[in-house]
Amino acid sequence: MRRAITIILLIVSITVPFIAFDVLPAIGDPASAPNTHVSDYYIEHAIEECNSPNMVTAVIVDYRAFDTMFETTVMFLAGLSVVIILANRPKSRIPAPASLKRLRDTSGNPVYRTVNKDVMISIIEPVILIYAMYVLFHGEISLGGGFQAGALIGMTYLLDIMVVGRKRPIFNLPKDNSAALAGIGPFIYALTGFISIIGGGLYLEYNKMPLPVHQAELHSLGITAVEIGVTIGVAGTIITILNALMERISFDDDND
Amino acid sequence: MMTTIDAFLAAKGIYLLTLLLLSLGVAGVIVCNNYMKKLICMNVMQVAVIFFFLCLGQKDPGTIPVAMNEAVKAAEYINPLPHGLMLTAIVVSLGTTGVGLSLLLRIKEKYGTIEEDDLLKKQAQQARRDKKRRELHHPGDDE
Amino acid sequence: MTANIPVLVILLPLCSALPCLALTKVNRHLGNAVVKIACLGSFVLSVIQLTEVVKNGPIHYAIGNYAVPYGIELVIDSLNAVLLVAFSLIGILTLIFAGNFGDRKRPMMIAAANAEIALLITGLLGMTSTGDVFNLYVFLEITSLSAYCLISLGGSRGVVSAYRYMLVGTIAATFYLLGIGILYGATGTLNMGDMAKILNEGGHDNAMLVAMCFLIPAFGIKMALFPFHGWQPSAYAHAEPGSRPLITGVMGKVPALAMFRFFFCIYGTDFRFVRLSLILLGVFSVIGMLYGSIMAMGQSDIRKILAYSSVAQIGYISLGFAIGTPISLAGAFLHMLGHAFMKGGLFFCTGAIRYKYGTADIDNFGRIYKKMPLTCGLLVIASLSMIGIPPTVGFFSKWYLALGAAGRHEWIYIAVLVISSLLNAVYFFKLIEKVFIRQSAGLKERWKSEEFELPVSIILPVVVCFLAILGLGLFNVRIIDILLMTLEGVGL
Repeated sequence: MRRAITIILLIVSITVPFIAFDVLPAIGDPASAPNTHVSDYYIEHAIEECNSPNMVTAVIVDYRAFDTMFETTVMFLAGLSVVIILANRPKSRIPAPASLKRLRDTSGNPVYRTVNKDVMISIIEPVILIYAMYVLFHGEISLGGGFQAGALIGMTYLLDIMVVGRKRPIFNLPKDNSAALAGIGPFIYALTGFISIIGGGLYLEYNKMPLPVHQAELHSLGITAVEIGVTIGVAGTIITILNALMERISFDDDND
Repeated sequence: MMTTIDAFLAAKGIYLLTLLLLSLGVAGVIVCNNYMKKLICMNVMQVAVIFFFLCLGQKDPGTIPVAMNEAVKAAEYINPLPHGLMLTAIVVSLGTTGVGLSLLLRIKEKYGTIEEDDLLKKQAQQARRDKKRRELHHPGDDE
Repeated sequence: MTANIPVLVILLPLCSALPCLALTKVNRHLGNAVVKIACLGSFVLSVIQLTEVVKNGPIHYAIGNYAVPYGIELVIDSLNAVLLVAFSLIGILTLIFAGNFGDRKRPMMIAAANAEIALLITGLLGMTSTGDVFNLYVFLEITSLSAYCLISLGGSRGVVSAYRYMLVGTIAATFYLLGIGILYGATGTLNMGDMAKILNEGGHDNAMLVAMCFLIPAFGIKMALFPFHGWQPSAYAHAEPGSRPLITGVMGKVPALAMFRFFFCIYGTDFRFVRLSLILLGVFSVIGMLYGSIMAMGQSDIRKILAYSSVAQIGYISLGFAIGTPISLAGAFLHMLGHAFMKGGLFFCTGAIRYKYGTADIDNFGRIYKKMPLTCGLLVIASLSMIGIPPTVGFFSKWYLALGAAGRHEWIYIAVLVISSLLNAVYFFKLIEKVFIRQSAGLKERWKSEEFELPVSIILPVVVCFLAILGLGLFNVRIIDILLMTLEGVGL
């Protein structure tokens, strides 16, 4: 009863002001304030100023690149926090629940043992990695970018571990190393900003970077460097969280 | 009467749905007794705000913000800014969830439960035990 | 290079924290040394920046050199230049201090904890200096995530309080996001100055009111204002001992600065419901000041005493906002500065006592002054400052608050100020009595050390806080002048 009252009170107190005061612009209205003031500038100037037809990429890694730098740092921070919080190994492992054993008796091996390793490692994983590279370097032109590429690379590692077990993965990254790697990614991002300071500009001002290429190319180069940093950071963080959690929970039936 | 309601729902109905989702999430965080459920409700709440921002970025005749040809007109593309902002919010919610899950793991290992009232009971027991131990042995050595 | 100082102040701690783990892989001391040097550099640069701002007026730094509403902007006026100096000073002191706690056999863990502290400093400095509402959110999340982690390092009770703080803190962040979403819907911009300009053209009063209903709880939770303070006492008490001064001293103040930015810089005094919102804030802070002091009187663990006293002290700051005249705002900011050093200093003391004797129960503190004269000196001066006895900074900040309240004939606020100070006196004199008069409890030292009293890395923060409390008190007129450079014309 108390629960119902709380929920109803909250719903009323959050939704009623919006109806009563009618403060929000209508959805899809082309003349509303968010659709006119700043957004028009982004849409019309993204190509000439940032050399990037994908306007979302232009916004996140050029106009508001400072935000994205700290966003990548948040990823690193999350990975680091998980490592620190789970650093002390427990005295006893969490035992495998009895239901799991019964399940295996009735329905055979768990799914990950039925996967064909040769198909997975030699065919599917390279395709995913190539696609990740495509998403990374094509991010400024079409959809995609560093976060997606990093997630794909992290996913490859996950697949790898699921197929061959964590004792013998293809490329082995202990959690200390992967946490260090996750820190290197945002560091590359931050250094890219410093290059333009060396060239006499302000922080993250890509067209002041002292590099011997055409003026229009500088923005593309800057965006690519930043996206590489994001990719490394995200991939490192995913692998770190995976490692930290796996050290913690390893069921006793894990014997391959 | 009906037409005004219709017009209101067409223009702002989705805001109401997202706010409903938000208030359900907040209520869940406050009301639920299980810490895992609280974490799930927290995620629901964050997703609701993401939807809310995406509503602000909608523009009626617009398409996705990737330039198709050289001549770009502002009216043809939707607002790219909320999408960029929400990418940040998604990453932040991912990070918070990861930290929350690892904290939950620690709580479960230490106290053997993630129900709030059980946990409070066990903490009170632990405090009493610590106090007794401190009085018996030597002053000091708190955790 | 000098033009880039505003961004370098934020970036130096960040750029040292990110490769810290990789550097520790190379050499076990390299990572920590780099973090400390970078934070020291950030402090030096913030001092240079303060002199620059005092001489030439506010600095506007556009990142990426984009025109104002399109890019992100850092705004350094005299207000946050002063706060940046204080916060980065406490940050570097905490880093030095934290080296004494933690497991020495595991260099990677120490490096990771140091990186967390450096990222917390980055988040706090960034929140202080940013001029963009969404950028503020990102820094807020960096601050909160590193704080969750540092709180959870303080043992099993720390983990539970970190989890509870995480749930509440995420509600606050979500509400903040919703609030700026409403303002973005009304104005279409995210830059603070631009938003203020559009809102002051009028016609947005309803949107501002609804946004405010979400922003007050958001900032209230983050700064532990009275009805939203539930997470705070256990989180402050059970945080990791090394980083506790930074968490308790600075973390509650920065959201208060953000609240000031929203209420006085963005909303302005032309806002139709300004009186209403100030009265609401005043009620919260008055109840909080009394409640925090009364709760603190009942505790015997020094960490809990100080944590509850923080609820009361945050009340003083928001009371300054609620009165709303320039002089009371200056008082609130002086209290913010002073309280950062007082509370930070008191937690340096408790950390030092814990380091030497391993206790936090004030019943065990009998005649501890004979063995730890310097630490007890800071304990006494910070306690006196909390009560508000001249010439410490606590007296002058309360004096300016009372002056502002008298200017607006708010006699209730003055009465509550006096009552709350008397209540403070009760429990701080109890503490002083325990330290000086009570019989010794026969504590055993945990470490046998040759040094005088304590290692230098603990003595240094203690001495600096001691000097800062006295210095802020003695030179309060100069500081108020600097603060008023910005605050003149702001407020009622």
